[in-house]
Amino acid sequence: MKKPNLGAYILAAPVHILLAMTMTIPAIYIFWLSLNESTYGTGQLFVGLDNYARIFSDPAFWRATSNTFIVVNAIVYLEILLATAIAALLVSGVPFRSLMIALVLVPYSVSEVITVLVWKSLMNPSYGVIGRTIADMGYAMNWSASPVAGLTLVAIISIWQHLPFSVILIYAGMTAIPGSLYEAAEVDGAGRFQSFCRVTLPLLLPTLLIALLFRFAFAFRLFSEVGLLTGGGPARTTEVLGVYLYRDAYRDGAFGTAAATGWIMVVGTLLIASLYLWLMQRSMRNGNV
Amino acid sequence: MSDTLVRIVKAVGLAAILVWSLGPVLFVVMSSLKPAGDIFNYPPSLVFVPTLENYRALWTEFADFFPALRNSLIVAVGATLLSTVVSFMAGYVYSRYSGALVASSALYMIAVRLLPPIVVTLPLFPAVDFLGLSDTHLVLIVLYAAFWVSLVTIILKTFIDEVPRELDEAAEMDGASQLQILLRVILPLAAQGIAAGAIFVFIFSWNEFLFALIFTTSNAKTAPLVISEVMDAIYGTSWGVLFAGVTVQILPVLLLVILANRLIVAGLTSGAVKG
Repeated sequence: MKKPNLGAYILAAPVHILLAMTMTIPAIYIFWLSLNESTYGTGQLFVGLDNYARIFSDPAFWRATSNTFIVVNAIVYLEILLATAIAALLVSGVPFRSLMIALVLVPYSVSEVITVLVWKSLMNPSYGVIGRTIADMGYAMNWSASPVAGLTLVAIISIWQHLPFSVILIYAGMTAIPGSLYEAAEVDGAGRFQSFCRVTLPLLLPTLLIALLFRFAFAFRLFSEVGLLTGGGPARTTEVLGVYLYRDAYRDGAFGTAAATGWIMVVGTLLIASLYLWLMQRSMRNGNV
Repeated sequence: MSDTLVRIVKAVGLAAILVWSLGPVLFVVMSSLKPAGDIFNYPPSLVFVPTLENYRALWTEFADFFPALRNSLIVAVGATLLSTVVSFMAGYVYSRYSGALVASSALYMIAVRLLPPIVVTLPLFPAVDFLGLSDTHLVLIVLYAAFWVSLVTIILKTFIDEVPRELDEAAEMDGASQLQILLRVILPLAAQGIAAGAIFVFIFSWNEFLFALIFTTSNAKTAPLVISEVMDAIYGTSWGVLFAGVTVQILPVLLLVILANRLIVAGLTSGAVKG
């Protein structure tokens, strides 16, 4: 390995200029913006922590925070559970394995907009294939009236869209486990279930933590699914933080309070990330690499 | 568990996975081929005489669609080119050089990926406006590329790690410059990594919604944005036309994902696990 020379710095510069311009400087600037009153980002007036006081006293903010917390946890844990089951099935030896993997990836190619459109059509209680069927059984999912139905559908849509990512990560983690360990477990008389619990799960732990880290960070920015399905309604009951921020900024022009929400989202994301990085480090120190 | 039982459980599981993954896409394609009045029949007609009527009507009834599709293509190709070129150069540096700055900036690139995109739009919105770039292809190209350079750099680093260092050194002895090594030695051998990175950026840019919603209003509107506007104000026979448009939007990337699934798997695992 060499020490970087001038040429190396020049080659790496464009990536870092792009990142600084569009991500890093804006993310830091957000904190400054959150201390100002501002309409569409202009005409700033320093107001200290007023914006934070304002959103903390807004019931809609707390509603959005608790919705985000509940939906994100439901999405991430259900998704990782499903992905682990699917990956285990694929690893266990199935016919046409590479074709199956290609087909599992299909939702990855579909735009969020179209995903919402399709699930909206399928789940419609009066004419959707699935929605009408479950409505006939007495469980109508009427998301324009019921926040629980709305957020449940948001979770389903989000899981459908992102499941391929988790399946592929976990599948790769499983195939990296040496086969000799399973042979040893079999010699010791372990059944399928036992060898899954004693061999697969502990060795898969770092992979699962990485999948959780990325999925939490990405689910936290939940916006399109809610925005396009319910628009946050009825009566702002299904808003999540991304939608709350969008409404504040782009409908009401209140960039100062939106920046306060944004800064809370940045800090929240970093906290989640450090929690999982800490867990990862610990699991590696304990030898579960 | 007996072997037969295991086999039955597996078969049921596989069938469920297929219905889950493919069902919604098949619903779109089938609806686009049905007469508009039959799309929402209950129970749905699985066997029907396909018609191309909706596709014919796409040209006349959904006039915004093709310009939007063209915008999507321009933006996706532009973002893919920009991000792969700069990430290739950076990926080479991260693969071949070491030091405190290199290591810490690699960590920083992963952290930056976690930032929620909607948050950074707040300062960017007035800045883009000030620069006169709102509603242009350029703003989406730069944002989409910037959004992916960190992951694509990491993917390319892992692919370039596989290229033996001895090749660089031999070229260096022959008097090749850094740029020549990059283009003549590394580029041909890292082509797979470049393809993997390019696929991610292309699919993301083709489908992206949030940035398009905030930064475009008419000239640079992309297909997902136009579809989202239509789907809220739709009635009667337009459903068939909408599904025809949606099918046209989905098909190219659907084929790309299915045909290039190995590259996607390799890219995702190198980007997430080793990053």
